[in-house]
Amino acid sequence: MNTWIEIAMLALLLSDMALLGLSVLSTSIGVVAFQGVLLGGFALLAQHDVLSPRLLAIAVGTVVLKGGVYPYLLRRAIQEAGIRREIQPFVGYVPSVLAGVVMMGIAVWLGHSLPLRADLPLVVPASLMTLFTGLFLVTARKTALIQCLGYLVLENGIYTFGVAAVGEIPALVELGLLLDAFVAVLVMGIAIYRINREFDHIEADRLNVLKG
Amino acid sequence: MFRQEWLWAVFCLPAAVGLLAPMCPRPRAILGAMLAGVFATAFCGFRLIGAVFMKGPVSAASEWLRLDALSAWHLAILLIVFLMSSLYAWVYFEEERRAGRLSLKSVRLFAGLWCGALSAMALVLISNNLAIMWVGIEATTLLTAFLICVHVTRESLEAMWKYILICSIGVAFAFMGTLLAAASAQGLEGGTRQALLWTRLLEGAAQLDPRLMKAAFLFLLVGYGTKAGLAPMHSWLPDAHSQAPAPVSAIFSGFMLNTALYCIIRYVPVVEAATGGSGWCLRLLAGFGVFSILVGAAFIVFQKDLKRLLAYCSVEHLGIITLGFGLGGFGIFAALFHTLNHSLCKTLSFFAAGRLGQWFGSHDMEKMKGSCRVSRVWGVGLFGSLLALIGVAPFALFMSELQILKAALDHGAIVSLVLFLAGAGVVFIGMLARAIPLMWGKTSDAVSPVRAQFLERLVVAVPLIVLLALGLWMPLPLRAAIEAAARIVDPGTAAVSSALLAGGAP
Repeated sequence: MNTWIEIAMLALLLSDMALLGLSVLSTSIGVVAFQGVLLGGFALLAQHDVLSPRLLAIAVGTVVLKGGVYPYLLRRAIQEAGIRREIQPFVGYVPSVLAGVVMMGIAVWLGHSLPLRADLPLVVPASLMTLFTGLFLVTARKTALIQCLGYLVLENGIYTFGVAAVGEIPALVELGLLLDAFVAVLVMGIAIYRINREFDHIEADRLNVLKG
Repeated sequence: MFRQEWLWAVFCLPAAVGLLAPMCPRPRAILGAMLAGVFATAFCGFRLIGAVFMKGPVSAASEWLRLDALSAWHLAILLIVFLMSSLYAWVYFEEERRAGRLSLKSVRLFAGLWCGALSAMALVLISNNLAIMWVGIEATTLLTAFLICVHVTRESLEAMWKYILICSIGVAFAFMGTLLAAASAQGLEGGTRQALLWTRLLEGAAQLDPRLMKAAFLFLLVGYGTKAGLAPMHSWLPDAHSQAPAPVSAIFSGFMLNTALYCIIRYVPVVEAATGGSGWCLRLLAGFGVFSILVGAAFIVFQKDLKRLLAYCSVEHLGIITLGFGLGGFGIFAALFHTLNHSLCKTLSFFAAGRLGQWFGSHDMEKMKGSCRVSRVWGVGLFGSLLALIGVAPFALFMSELQILKAALDHGAIVSLVLFLAGAGVVFIGMLARAIPLMWGKTSDAVSPVRAQFLERLVVAVPLIVLLALGLWMPLPLRAAIEAAARIVDPGTAAVSSALLAGGAP
């Protein structure tokens, strides 16, 4: 069981690095969808107890939302906004990957200084790394869409941490969380749509009228 | 038994009204239904608050919902701010509709989201489960986002985007903190299922893992602090406050920021107990508080837009409140008192800025000169609230700031004291220099004098009179209520000495 979890965490780490280096928006969305499916499987593996209907529901919900619905919404936003261009970074791809290496170092160090899940040494670092990657994507990329994508990655990191490190939290709470993230993405989607309609672009760095 | 139902009503009633009110056919009916909903909620809420202060905490849904003195105090402020803002929204949107700036669709959107926001903030206050409290904050963020761009312009869309993105990330950090807190409680009896209940967490605080609890508090402080507008995470705040319609700015500044700060304060007694009363988290709070005061003060000096000026003033005042909490002891009492004063006063100043802005067609302070000649009522409202905000005696804000100074002195926090005074001094000069021309400057000829309605006079007069009265005399029940709330944050808070409570009985 633990071997599978470690493999999943390695895949999560690799997908984070891929997100930092990728230049094509639709591929990035694909990677985030992959993370979503991975997390659904991880939710099944990480709990110690046997397969309960509640656990199954959460895993299925995760896969459907994170692996299917969000990527679909984002792809539709791309189509409606008519974006064919690439990601347009503030920070170039090579420096981004280098920053990723530094973040990974910090994540591993932090993960080992927190007294959590000593049996699975990769889980906490991988979740922290995913959180940092999301934060980096939000700050270092220009378009509103990729910032939304970054927010999703950040959420994935926190989700991993929640499932692995905390274990059982009441189903109602988990439901609330999934629902919240869903509405967040929906709201961001509508915001992007409106911004696009009003400005004819969704480059967040050109949203710069308000200062001081 | 019936008290439990009131608890449900405070949360469910506005949610139901938020869903139903937009179905009304005419704008007046929609706003009327909204107003009725807010009044009904306030009625239930105040019954409940009275019960809590007389007879002790109320809980429902097997302890998931709970109202104690601290949350009751905040709920009271929330309801006052919403009552005032809803009355004001009635007047404000009437004018917007006359000017043809507001469609039926916008009114529907506004009424639905307004009641939804009330419901979400009430949920934050009444939930005993820390994860549900987080859900409430997240819902507040999402519901209020579209309130910023009721008037769709480029600026308001920009402000909305910054607000959604920055606050969503902040709230995600807060969730990470909540998870870490839950992880630190894994050893407790009943497992994490029970441990996310604040009351259980507090009972078992001595057994919590201090390292995890410290990590949790850092995430919570940064996360909820973003939503509370503490510097340096405040960058969304001036944009959102300046672009939102005035009633929305008023609830943002008047209570939404305090809701997020309330969440941080909930964790303070738990973290204090888990770290053995070392004062670690209090020092962090005081640090963020002082930094926010200084940042707010520095930006106030350069503002040209009135609503942006008020927004930075909120950063400063939230800093003052946070500093008060960080000082502990008497500081907590002062901070809670300052919360009420600031909410009343800031709500009024945003009302005035919005109403005057409608007539001047701008919030640029150069163009808004001589507001007293355009509308005596709102000119006085603006000038009075600005004076109160910069801490002129005998308004209540002066008293609560003095109490915080006293707490800093007692605590021996001389550096905080000096920096606070420096910041307050800069704000005093910077804002007074703006306020005088705003009141008596030369008006441009394009704007003709306007008569205020009775409702407007009421909305201006009541907060000003209350602020004056509270500055001169604090009623004993109010003092007892704040003391009860302060004891929840710091159980060691002794009965407050009456030396600094104006007119307080010995």
